[in-house]
Amino acid sequence: MCGILAVLGCSDDSQAKRVRVLELSRRQSFLYLFVLKHRGPDWSGLYQHGDFFLAHQRLAIIDPASGDQPLYSEDKKIVVTVNGEIYNHEELRKRLVNHKFLTGSDCDVIAHLYEEYGENFVDMLDGMFSFVLLDTRDNSFIVARDAIGITSLYIGWSLDGSIWISSELKGLNDDCEHFECFPPGHLYSSKLGGLKRWYNPPWFSEAIPSTPYDPLVLRSAFENAVIKRLMTDVPFGVLLSGGLDSSLVASIAARHLAGTKAAKQWGPQLHSFCVGLENSPDLKSAKEVAEYLGTVHHEFHFTVQDGIDAIEDVIYHIETYDVTTIRASTPMFLMARKIKSLGVKMVISGEGSDEIFGGYLYFHKAPNKEEFHRETCHKIKALHQYDCLRANKSTSAWGVEARVPFLDKDFINVAMAIDPEWKMIKQDEGRIEKWILRKAFDDEEHPYLPKHILYRQKEQFSDGVGYSWIDGLKAHAALHVTNKMMQNAHNIYPHNTPSTKEAYYYRMIFERFFPQNSARQTVPGGASVACSTAKAVEWDAAWANNLDPSGRAALGVHLSAYNEQHQAASNGNVVPMPSNIIDNIPRMMEVGSQELEIRG
Amino acid sequence: MCGILAVFGCIDSSQVKRSRIIELSRRLRHRGPDWSGLHCHDDCYLAHQRLAIVDPTSGDQPLYNEDKTVVVTVNGEIYNHKELREKLKNHQFRTGSDCEVIAHLYEEYGEDFVHMLDGMFSFVLLDTRDKSFIAARDAIGITPLYMGWGLDGSIWFASEMKALSDDCERFVSFLPGHIYSSKQGALRRWYNPPWYAEQIPSTPYDPLLLREAFEKAFGQKAGRNGGGGNGWAGKAVLKRLMTDVPFGVLLSGGLDSSLVAAVASRFLAESKVACQWGSQLHTFCIGLKGSPDLKAAREVADYLGTRHHEFHFTVQEGLDALEEVIYHIETYDVTTIRASTPMFLMSRKIKSLGVKMVISGEGSDEIFGGYLYFHKAPNKEEFHQETCRKIKSLHLYDCLRANKSTSAWGVEARVPFLDKEFIDTAMSIDPEWKMVRHDLGRIEKWILRNAFDDDKKPYLPKHILYRQKEQFSDGVGYSWIDGLKDHANKHVTDSMLMNASFVYPENTPTTKEAYYYRTIFEKFFPKNAARATVPGGPSIACSTAKAVEWDAAWSKNLDPSGRAALGVHAAAYDEPVDAKPANLLNGSPQQLQESVVKTATVV
Repeated sequence: MCGILAVLGCSDDSQAKRVRVLELSRRQSFLYLFVLKHRGPDWSGLYQHGDFFLAHQRLAIIDPASGDQPLYSEDKKIVVTVNGEIYNHEELRKRLVNHKFLTGSDCDVIAHLYEEYGENFVDMLDGMFSFVLLDTRDNSFIVARDAIGITSLYIGWSLDGSIWISSELKGLNDDCEHFECFPPGHLYSSKLGGLKRWYNPPWFSEAIPSTPYDPLVLRSAFENAVIKRLMTDVPFGVLLSGGLDSSLVASIAARHLAGTKAAKQWGPQLHSFCVGLENSPDLKSAKEVAEYLGTVHHEFHFTVQDGIDAIEDVIYHIETYDVTTIRASTPMFLMARKIKSLGVKMVISGEGSDEIFGGYLYFHKAPNKEEFHRETCHKIKALHQYDCLRANKSTSAWGVEARVPFLDKDFINVAMAIDPEWKMIKQDEGRIEKWILRKAFDDEEHPYLPKHILYRQKEQFSDGVGYSWIDGLKAHAALHVTNKMMQNAHNIYPHNTPSTKEAYYYRMIFERFFPQNSARQTVPGGASVACSTAKAVEWDAAWANNLDPSGRAALGVHLSAYNEQHQAASNGNVVPMPSNIIDNIPRMMEVGSQELEIRG
Repeated sequence: MCGILAVFGCIDSSQVKRSRIIELSRRLRHRGPDWSGLHCHDDCYLAHQRLAIVDPTSGDQPLYNEDKTVVVTVNGEIYNHKELREKLKNHQFRTGSDCEVIAHLYEEYGEDFVHMLDGMFSFVLLDTRDKSFIAARDAIGITPLYMGWGLDGSIWFASEMKALSDDCERFVSFLPGHIYSSKQGALRRWYNPPWYAEQIPSTPYDPLLLREAFEKAFGQKAGRNGGGGNGWAGKAVLKRLMTDVPFGVLLSGGLDSSLVAAVASRFLAESKVACQWGSQLHTFCIGLKGSPDLKAAREVADYLGTRHHEFHFTVQEGLDALEEVIYHIETYDVTTIRASTPMFLMSRKIKSLGVKMVISGEGSDEIFGGYLYFHKAPNKEEFHQETCRKIKSLHLYDCLRANKSTSAWGVEARVPFLDKEFIDTAMSIDPEWKMVRHDLGRIEKWILRNAFDDDKKPYLPKHILYRQKEQFSDGVGYSWIDGLKDHANKHVTDSMLMNASFVYPENTPTTKEAYYYRTIFEKFFPKNAARATVPGGPSIACSTAKAVEWDAAWSKNLDPSGRAALGVHAAAYDEPVDAKPANLLNGSPQQLQESVVKTATVV
């Protein structure tokens, strides 16, 4: 990942003089480019045209030698600063036959596409990206963010009339009067003076699709998504937690690595990485998968204290106070540092599968296929605030780039066109969550994964790294937050009031780094059960009555308990530590659980 | 390099304090991006940010002795750790880290073991049995270390000032070659080599001995006799080539860096590192496009057959980096900032190639009197004493620059010229031999040049071996310093400069450039104590205040241009550099603000 920052000044005539005087000092204030340096440790670039500034911190993945940014069109009239990867850049270059490219960078095509097609080219880009493009001929500019929001982007407005664009909130929060998340799949055009959505796939309207499930179509769509992402000029690896999603990614990457340019440069053996407390479930499952696939596997152990010591850093980097995002980001953040220290700059990761296929356990209770489908759509649309944000910022904190093949545009289209009847959990037919994905890779002749891995239900991330992690976080928060503080929480934090000491503790840290009202509002809140949207809370009357139940509180849907699981001695209403109940990251919830039992 | 931070005896030992220590330690993370560690024992904290060079997989810090009663946090490299481990036969080691020996040496020998360490280091050691602690810094101050005192009675140690400046009431730069012991409550010098007394030595110059001493700073080749002895001959022993990660050499094309590259590439062919990282040496050079250094370095790289990387920067890129440079290197010394900026930019590029360690040529000009003002040394006694003074103040200038500019990006710089044994050898030579004698054809650093003048197996072509080269800031391109001055002129007005003595009564800046740097420095480090860590005083072309007396003309014009001539450069650079005789200085000049004089006489 790279870091971008742009200040697009108003060219109001009455201001013109003042702006010119400010020009020099502006350049100075630009040194808080500084704050985005972690995203792109390899080089900085700053371009100035009048009162337009485009700045860039580069992490060199493609063409490290010549691709420093900003990038230009042939006549240098068009300037672009980009964070991201354009996977189909070679194909696009071929279409732009009469254009001369100044670098080998994949992002170079953006300036040329604009020259050729004007503002309506964003849909042609296949990849993850956010960029600012300045047309110096008429001082117009456009800003765009990828379809799902894999890369992070914020937009802000300053009192002097300038518009600010930054990869992270910390790049603009001090200077803008108001700022927000730049919506994914959108384009800001200075000519229009507003945002418009460029991403308009069939699933977006949330109409119920009817294409029958074809395992081979789904398989090849996903394989293509992984293969595309093997494009790199630097060492890379796979994040492997041992769950279904990351194991599939690793399996496909290992299979297709041979013969790629990356393999020639960095060896044909895939590197895989896993993090956990010592003896954690993830470490064990990942090792099993790594052994099966024959990857060069790296295990990182951290202690609860290591994690707690990192919390402030994590919140500063990921810019949220969402409890489950912080819980899950911390191990990822620690791991990214170790990965970087091995010289690896890019990793492929499994985010997005649970949203597309309804992999969260609460989907078991979806009343019908329509509700099921709409919930998956909502989940995908909200990804940029949760898992995309976590994956991108936890790794970028150390100059590591995360690529997410499940969020490939083509793959999403294929997966979201399938009749959702097939995604529904049918215990009577032996279909557990994400069954259509599992089935698609169930190849007897050339198995991608051993059957027991392909069909296993696994820990959600924060539990998978070790059960004592979350207990440790809670205990630590309890040291900092008193009962009295909790009583006044709604007075101090009227917006998204923290309901647990843990949430309160994170909130305090967040507010210290990002005290502005706008910052608070970039983080989502609302009712949720085990990661659901507010809407899905209605699926079960018991949930709606208990609007903030524990993530660990059971939905009664997990088929098999994890082997070394502390046995849940359920007496009465209390369910102690059934931490294997949730299969992905629960959000904004806590509190004791009631009236729910564990089966199996 | 790594970053260390240690605090002893703070009144508050709550969770809040722990968070604070972590926050402060984070300010050193650029030095050690690979991992963080914190050891907490009652009111004592030892924090560490690690750059993993030796034993990346297990050597995370803090390090412990066998029973974990002794805790140590170290920044540096102990080159003779294997030899020391052999002496500690009955000790069980937990990691493969070179720094682990420190805890065990302490157990074995108490506080008096620091002189046994061969390397560059600063460390803090806590003995939890009686809660005593020691802190020490290497002989010359290659690694940085600061010491401070909090109002609550706490004592602080940190690799960089930025980690303790906010929390300490007073702080100082920790003296090189010293140890602080809590039992004695004071500093004492552990480094006590023969040259320290500044007496005039009389050993005659032996070229081969000098050459060998320099080569030994890199290591000893397998099967080579002579030197080393006690069981080590016959086995390759690596010193500055000891690494488990990719490395390279900073090559400006001048004598010193070229010798470093020549010796390193000879070694590489036969050593363990070659197996891991390929037998071709990587070399790095930075400059504005078309700069003298780039050309000179390329020539040397071609001759040695290294894998050479050239980095170009623009004046604007350098200017944009200035604030960061000053934040990182923590000085307002003009020539240090000028020279640090290109080095800082280059380090970022080096790191982006995956290289974590570089070998560099600092120290030679101090040991051999390589600065051009040495031409005017009145006699060998004065000459020698000046070299001693220069070595003693290296930690404030070139060591500080080399260490902090590279550490800013998690790159470690090693400096073979500052090998303890090499210094002893070079400083025991009768200084008569170091004197510049045009009548005998001896230019500056002649004894070093002559030592590597091997006709049979030449280290370097003769014209490179005997050439006089640009000083660093000029070598990167002449317009760099002009660009800096222009930029400063835009920010500092005449009236600001006129009032400089009131605004900055200590070390008052005398040029707009100096004033500009000073404002940036004060912004980051506003305390009096910070200001006092930076040296000042009269100087001519890098000389100490004492040497200003060598020429009456100098003392009358106390702050002349670095480019202002001493009339001593023997040959102009090949391509005549039009109006700018920038080639007059042969090292980085210190504490000079050039202003007016742009004339030079070339002899």
